[in-house]
Amino acid sequence: MRGAPISTQTLPTLRSGAFLLLLLFLFFSFVPTLSAQAIPYSRPVETAPQADTIGGGYKTPAVQKPLPRDALLQVLDVLILAAAMGAAVWLVLKRRSRKWVLALSIGSLAYFGFYREGCVCPIGSIQNVAVALTDRTYAIPMVVTAVFFLPLVVALFFGRAFCGGVCPLGAIQELVVLKPLCVPPRLDRALGLLKYVYLALAILLAIKPALGRDFLICRFDPFVGFFRRTGAPHMLLLGGGFLVLGMFVGRPYCRYLCPYGGLLAWCTRLARRGVTITPDKELDCGLCAEACPYGAIDHMRAVRKDCLYCARCYASCPRDGDLARAKAQLVTLS
Amino acid sequence: MSEPVSRRDVLHGVVRGGVLATLGGGALFLVQKAHGQVVWQVDAARCINSRLGDTGAEACKLCTTECVVALSAVRAVNEYAKCGRCNICPAYFNITSAVDEKGLPSEKLCPRDAIARKPIGKADPEDPANNFYEYVIDEEKCDGCGKCVMKCKEPLGLGSIVLRVRYDKCVNCNRCAISRSCPKDALHQIPVEQALRSPESLHRTE
Repeated sequence: MRGAPISTQTLPTLRSGAFLLLLLFLFFSFVPTLSAQAIPYSRPVETAPQADTIGGGYKTPAVQKPLPRDALLQVLDVLILAAAMGAAVWLVLKRRSRKWVLALSIGSLAYFGFYREGCVCPIGSIQNVAVALTDRTYAIPMVVTAVFFLPLVVALFFGRAFCGGVCPLGAIQELVVLKPLCVPPRLDRALGLLKYVYLALAILLAIKPALGRDFLICRFDPFVGFFRRTGAPHMLLLGGGFLVLGMFVGRPYCRYLCPYGGLLAWCTRLARRGVTITPDKELDCGLCAEACPYGAIDHMRAVRKDCLYCARCYASCPRDGDLARAKAQLVTLS
Repeated sequence: MSEPVSRRDVLHGVVRGGVLATLGGGALFLVQKAHGQVVWQVDAARCINSRLGDTGAEACKLCTTECVVALSAVRAVNEYAKCGRCNICPAYFNITSAVDEKGLPSEKLCPRDAIARKPIGKADPEDPANNFYEYVIDEEKCDGCGKCVMKCKEPLGLGSIVLRVRYDKCVNCNRCAISRSCPKDALHQIPVEQALRSPESLHRTE
């Protein structure tokens, strides 16, 4: 024994183990032909040797304990969420800039999507809020409460700024819009009801007793697999399917399935302001309605509950574009 | 620019105020019962791989296969204070493999070679059983398959290796995907302060 001596009374098994192993050692060194067999193994110690037993200045290393994401950083997430929504409102309602709101949503996709890997998000937080409201023993951190309520309050005043400027699920679909088809209004309305069915189902499954509880929205989040760069094959396929569909039907998840989109749509009915197509003099050209991939312009007016704050209508509007920059001018045809 | 206030605007304002009050009330209710963050953790006393009585069985690999993170957020952790620091560690070596010329089993147990074995101090070749070895798990390599955990328990080991959720890897799903399929319901949510305090406090209390 090196270091501190150990008496045979305190650790008899160490000695007997040593003896046994020595015998085995001798046995195998003299009978090399048998060495291909497995040795009978007996446990050499009954108690863990501690630093003072081992001696030689040995220190038991500390078991590392990786910390979860710092609480301050989580508060920062909420602040970024609020700031991004504020920026979206300003860029869309004041600046009327498609370019900048697109840049904002790409930034949000990078941060909330690929960096934060899609969590925490208001869509999933519906379930946590539902459980916390119904289950006495279940509580949620304040951060989650804030993430759930902030976009709703913004929607009450300005419309779905969250969808256009912040939501990473929206942004990833926004980027793949290629050649959006016009969904027939009746079909659009019928499919739009799906999100309320999904909302009800998600809440029903979430407020079940703890063991049977299921978080449907999180389990079937179509894009979280992309954000995490890993996932079950069927989920990645589903997400890919939504992206391919999204090339021809603008933001299908947002319009027909997103349960939080349903809540926001209700709030926007009371909004004070929203996207306005024709602030002063309209041209009645209808270019904006053609440019809207989401069918949110009805009779030359933006429908607030469907408007996803993408600002494409402004980008296509001659009033906001060439006319405003004096590259073209209106002529009256006689 | 002053527009005349229509009855519709007033009505909207009133309803909006009502909705805001409702949302605010809901938020207040949630805030007054709010607590800090909760995290998922494995209860070693329940986990098939670490609880007593399942020796010799195949290790349960669900923590590796079910986690939504690419390389599972559950890793094997060696609680050094409990480790026997054995010469022939049943979690490091495949003790049923053939013996090599040094008298040690020729194969390692870990399929990803994530455990390092190094002698503490100077190894005495005359007295192999009384040499101490430190077994350090490289958590970047470990995928939480639980093989070593299963072997490091009575009667051969001291049960120093257990499976733990690593919070720098875990994305803290609402319902942990592993917990959904865990046959022993060994994963549970605890406040993060408790999870960081001591290994013993990880056991479920109810």
